[in-house]
Amino acid sequence: MEIKEKLRILADSAKYDASCSSSGSKRKGDLGNASFSGICHSFSADGRCISLLKILLTNCCIYDCKYCLNRKSNNIKRAIFTPEEICYITINFYKRNYIEGLFLSSGIIKNPDYTMNLIIKTITLLRNKYHFGGYIHAKAIPGCSEYLVKKLGLLVDRLSANIELPTENGIKLLAPHKDFKNTEKIMGYVKENKSHKFVPAGQSTQMIIGATKESDLDILSKSEAMYNKFKLKRVFYSAYIPVNKDNLLPTLEKPPLVREHRLYQADWLLRYYGFKTEDLLNSKQANFNLLIDPKAAWALNHLQEFPKEINSCSYYDLLKIPGIGVTSAKRIMSSRKHFKITFKDLKNMGIVLKRAKYFITCNGKYFIDTTFFNKNFIEANLVLEDKPNNAVERKQLSFFHE
Amino acid sequence: MNSIYLYQDDLLSLLNLIHYLVINKVTPDNIKPLDYAPTLLDEVINLKIEVNNDLIKQIINNYSIRIFNIIYYVFLSENENKELIIYYFYLNLLKYKTNIIYMRNLRCVSKALKISKYVSSEAHRLKGFVRFKKLKQEIYYAEIAPENNVIFLLAKHFKNRLKNEYWIIKDVKRGLISIYDKKDFYLTTESNFKMHDFKTSEDDADIKDMWKEFYNIIAIEQRTNERCRMNFMPKKYWKYIIEMSDNNEKNY
Repeated sequence: MEIKEKLRILADSAKYDASCSSSGSKRKGDLGNASFSGICHSFSADGRCISLLKILLTNCCIYDCKYCLNRKSNNIKRAIFTPEEICYITINFYKRNYIEGLFLSSGIIKNPDYTMNLIIKTITLLRNKYHFGGYIHAKAIPGCSEYLVKKLGLLVDRLSANIELPTENGIKLLAPHKDFKNTEKIMGYVKENKSHKFVPAGQSTQMIIGATKESDLDILSKSEAMYNKFKLKRVFYSAYIPVNKDNLLPTLEKPPLVREHRLYQADWLLRYYGFKTEDLLNSKQANFNLLIDPKAAWALNHLQEFPKEINSCSYYDLLKIPGIGVTSAKRIMSSRKHFKITFKDLKNMGIVLKRAKYFITCNGKYFIDTTFFNKNFIEANLVLEDKPNNAVERKQLSFFHE
Repeated sequence: MNSIYLYQDDLLSLLNLIHYLVINKVTPDNIKPLDYAPTLLDEVINLKIEVNNDLIKQIINNYSIRIFNIIYYVFLSENENKELIIYYFYLNLLKYKTNIIYMRNLRCVSKALKISKYVSSEAHRLKGFVRFKKLKQEIYYAEIAPENNVIFLLAKHFKNRLKNEYWIIKDVKRGLISIYDKKDFYLTTESNFKMHDFKTSEDDADIKDMWKEFYNIIAIEQRTNERCRMNFMPKKYWKYIIEMSDNNEKNY
């Protein structure tokens, strides 16, 4: 089989992995280096960033996970790269600045250890023969021996093992050959051994959203638990896309992209904004409102804490304001020591007021008559502003545009 | 009459002029490079001032590298009032010292920060969007047409990244060329650069085809989102991004 055809098959079967980040490493090499902030090299037609050559070593697999294109029972064309072929493509793409590095995953061929050894062989070749210093993200194969995780971790920038589904029941149903515990064993090992030489950019994982019946509460609780237990850099959420037909799988018209988006927003709130899952969801309200982002939904339910005074409230209070992120909050903190911030200043400071204006005061002033400070008014406007083609209404509300 | 002060087209000369104006309490109506074409209302003033070669070093030492970079990035922009913005930024820098970066209620500060952010984001974007082709002579060659003059920033990046390759980056818009000889990079203009043979190496077409194939296949059809792609990778860059230009040949 020609290398071009292999690339077609093995990129096609790798594309459902959401992760493509290339940040967090300062590696240097004879050929290439890693950029700490990460670099996106292109964007595909689905709007996702392409920074790494995302391929499988092989799409042959001994498992038969219901949701997976590469499952054993599917009658599809199978291919396997040789380590030299992978190096050839990686090096040539890298020198032309198409990519930031390699993301190598694989179907499981023969057994987990055998597959891990092939991955290790390929990456050793890249690092030692071609002196490649670019970013490498590799998948660890759950169920492999610990010494192989150790070996691989010393070669790559990021290592990850996919949890696949948010609960053990989901795994039992759709991926009966897989064992939750094996994935967690890898995560535990990486956490214990992480250093500037071992997996310097940290580990991540991924869950499929909407293939099983779990609620957003189940999913976010799982993420929170993993962040706490394994110090993960990221949990990726991948809206379920039906590639196989199976009685156990849902039939979806469209992948649940808005739901996925809400989960990412909530995930950010957990990692950078001091929120906990229990602040956002509970057994009565176990799923996010698709019309309104999680932080705004939280704020509307805690309106007694608002409006917050920009010139005096704490950093964590600033972060609780819808529309204000980490950068804006820091900017406000450092500027207000030097002058009293007005609405106009906020605009000059590059702070987006579209959502924030409903929840703040500047020197005691609200942006319009305070009688409008009530849940119905704010909620209606937030939902409205998210929709395009409402320019007229938006104009009426914005008292300080150009 | 508008008093327009002239500087040689480089940052050091601009900063020396601004420093001189600030110290002598002169408020210029504008500051322009030497090739400026004056209007009837302009009075052009070309001062002969002694150039302090250490001025940049002094700004970095007295304030910070971050503050110098803000000035430098504004200078690299194409903003038509960039010299005046730098003048007022510098004026306030002497007053507020390192606190200047927090004084976003001052128009010149918020403007300078905004422009410098725009320039640094474009440079960062292009670190990803530059596409080299391999020429017969084993030289990697790329063309760009950025909004801002970021070729120096890119050259610094590729000096570390492709340190064992010969490469050339050409800014088509400005006629600027950066050449790297495996030791250091040099900036020159198109008129000083002679190269006739731009034939690509034998394997280049194959590699390019594989990349385009990869690019097309990696997108998930059910998630197609043109607007999102356009936000991250604006159309103005497509001409020099081969997976986009070759796919859309009729547009050019």
